[in-house]
Amino acid sequence: MLQLEVNGKTYPVDVEPDTPLLWVLRDKLDLTGTKFGCGIGACGACTVLMDGQAARSCIVPVSAVTGKAVTTIEGLSNDRSHPVQQVWLAESVPQCGYCQSGMMLAAIALLKHKPQPTDADIDAAMTNICRCGTYNRIRRAIHAVARRSNRV
Amino acid sequence: MSGPIEPSAWGINRREFIHSMAAAGGGLLLGFAWPAGRLEAEQSVATTRLPSAFLQIGIDDRITIISPAVEMGQGGHTAMPMILMEELGGDWNRVTVQDAPASAVYNNPVFHQQSTVGSFSVRGWYAELRRVGAAAREMLLQAAAADWGVPAGELTAEGSVISHGPTGRSRSFGSVASMAARLAAPQQPALKSSSDFQVIGTSPRRVDLPEKIDGSARFGIDMTLPNMLYAAVKTCPTLGGTLKSFDDSAAKQAPGYHATVALPDGIIVIADSYWRAHQALAQVKTEYDLGKLAGMDSSRIAQILRTALSDPGIVIRSEGDAPAALAAAPETLEAVYEVPYLAHACMEPMNCTARIDAAGCEVWCGTQAPQGAQQTAANVLKIPTDQVRVHTTYLGGGFGRRGESDFVAQAVIAAKAVDRPVKLIWSREEDIQHDYYRPVAAIRFRAAFDEERKLSALDCVVATSSAPTRIGAGPAFYTGSIADSNYAYAVPNFRVTGLDKDIGVRFGFWRSVNESHNPFMLEGFIDEIAHHLHQDPYEYRRTLLQHERGKRQLAVLDLAAEKARWHDRSAGHALGIAAFEAFGSYIATVADISMRGQEIRLHRVVTTIDCGVAIHPDNIQAQLEGGMVYGLTAALRGEITLANGAVEQSNFTDYHMLTMGEMPRVECFVLPSTAAPGGIGEPGTAPIAPALANAIYAATGNRPRSLPLSKQGLTYSAQRA
Repeated sequence: MLQLEVNGKTYPVDVEPDTPLLWVLRDKLDLTGTKFGCGIGACGACTVLMDGQAARSCIVPVSAVTGKAVTTIEGLSNDRSHPVQQVWLAESVPQCGYCQSGMMLAAIALLKHKPQPTDADIDAAMTNICRCGTYNRIRRAIHAVARRSNRV
Repeated sequence: MSGPIEPSAWGINRREFIHSMAAAGGGLLLGFAWPAGRLEAEQSVATTRLPSAFLQIGIDDRITIISPAVEMGQGGHTAMPMILMEELGGDWNRVTVQDAPASAVYNNPVFHQQSTVGSFSVRGWYAELRRVGAAAREMLLQAAAADWGVPAGELTAEGSVISHGPTGRSRSFGSVASMAARLAAPQQPALKSSSDFQVIGTSPRRVDLPEKIDGSARFGIDMTLPNMLYAAVKTCPTLGGTLKSFDDSAAKQAPGYHATVALPDGIIVIADSYWRAHQALAQVKTEYDLGKLAGMDSSRIAQILRTALSDPGIVIRSEGDAPAALAAAPETLEAVYEVPYLAHACMEPMNCTARIDAAGCEVWCGTQAPQGAQQTAANVLKIPTDQVRVHTTYLGGGFGRRGESDFVAQAVIAAKAVDRPVKLIWSREEDIQHDYYRPVAAIRFRAAFDEERKLSALDCVVATSSAPTRIGAGPAFYTGSIADSNYAYAVPNFRVTGLDKDIGVRFGFWRSVNESHNPFMLEGFIDEIAHHLHQDPYEYRRTLLQHERGKRQLAVLDLAAEKARWHDRSAGHALGIAAFEAFGSYIATVADISMRGQEIRLHRVVTTIDCGVAIHPDNIQAQLEGGMVYGLTAALRGEITLANGAVEQSNFTDYHMLTMGEMPRVECFVLPSTAAPGGIGEPGTAPIAPALANAIYAATGNRPRSLPLSKQGLTYSAQRA
């Protein structure tokens, strides 16, 4: 039995150790905000934070997660108050919305590392795929979060 | 989509009777009752056991609007309510939106199917939803007037509050909703003048956004039912192949394994988790009869189409005498344009959850066609359609792919096999390799010029592989944008011929459908004509639009050129322009590029649109920009190829999507208009390919006549600075 720490809670999980974290989150913990997109770590829909770093959970075996703190979209806030959530709303970023959990977590990891990212920083860090084409709004939103934190 | 869309049959058929009833628990329910006979005629695949409501106003003041359009990112769940709320005078903050069940009452008034396709939702529902909102408002005012003993004409409704100016009294919609439900619904309520609009033309927060930023939005793939099992599926890589035999002895030993189900064309494995099903499926050995497409490859398909261009086809449109003008012309120009198959690649892989019990079947999925899903499930189980309930979820992208129901059939087969609820999820590989592809297409253009070097004839032969037997579509459908009477350029002798080659690769509706290739080809050829005549491509297009039918196209063309500084471009930059009518909207795009060797450096994309009355301007901007990304991705590198009848691409590592770092600057401008609303979900996809190709010609003198551009050795970068 593995112990998983997700969004500040500890969960015992009884699965094969090579099960990707994605499917444990979705099917065992009912945290379905983390999405399946490609299964090979190419699209980023499944992005979560592991100890604050962006990780593509569809290629992370759950055995590699023990002892690490996992944050999913559900763990950002209870009331949509996380600055990234607020800005995502203010900029009306999502269209279909399917990739946006992963986008927001990738953005959070970027902003933690670089609170005032340049466009080049955003290009390098935000490699997730959005088929609706929301990239320019995501870029605007990331800059808006940076401006906010600058003011604080 | 289950039938052809014949332009001649378009036109709004009003549902004659607005029908009111008391809502359960009090309040007003408003929907449509159909004239006898009419319902049966249209309701070949629908259920009657569900209410036909579009609007419910509760005694608690909640306003529930049943959206006939699904939400796949194009904003249907916001636009539909906005239209109704404009007339109702309700409080936007009290609105909740629900997806419509499968029922013919929700058939789009324009094309008589309950499908969110073809950028038809606002176009189809604009008149009807205003009528429902206005009828409800009149009933609420009448009820309040009767209760207060004042003339209804003295009452106003705003923000869900009814006010009586002379006495200063006011009360909420909810307080009179039950009384209003006892009144006869007015059939032709007075509608607002567009100059009085307060909702339409504003950009309220889209209703689906809060759920999409905290992980709570439920897509089909997020469905969970008690006692549910999970299914993974793999079908024959060779398109059209059928299963001969399989050996699942190893899979049976896998943890959590429940069952193997043989499909005519593949295998489903069911287990107690998706990952276990996926792992067990990989252990099933299969043998296939490869079928007719074994040995087929992309170069042969291209050859088939090219050869077909010389066959006699079906003349779809003919004005004047193009062949005679061509024969007599002192000067002609000819070119062939080609495009490949494309996959949709929705971010959410295809999936469906099904539950079967004595009462029938329920399915949960993101679908653009609830009645298609319903009919599919009914066919599998051989039960009447009214025993199938379809629960529509959010769609993680639709783009036309989710108008199909192949994945619904598989989920129902799986649930039936194990007698338990099953959620079936496709892998990305299955999604890329078993799509309903945007078909390959080729057009041969011939232009004739008279003695004064004026364009005297344009002859277009369009060859596609659209398998007309599937939906009765065929060349008439895929020549659509060219053969369409809205085609605005004035050419005295004009002929469009369609040719269909049934190659056997299943085709479908890909965001912007025929506009995904015809404008690339036609606007490319118009550009060729302009250069051939040594004329500026923008100014030359203007000369073809100097007539009444060309006015709206001319306006978007002019605005695009102005905003892109056509005659004042940056040094070293080349501009390409394209303009046309699509989905009832007029659109123009300018691509601003420079070349560095073989690298296309895209500096800016400017798009202008006249989409009639603009319902939600911010969402129109989002759709134009997003649609452009979909088109740009395809133009640069989108290509599904076949080798031995199997799709060679399999995932995002070999079917490449545009990424953040490749996203150009985009500027979109919506022209003010009081014309009937046009579509906005698809028009934006179409113009980038011709605009970009025309810019490449302007920069290099090389004319891209086929896509993707990557195949011609061109690379790409976005230059946002």
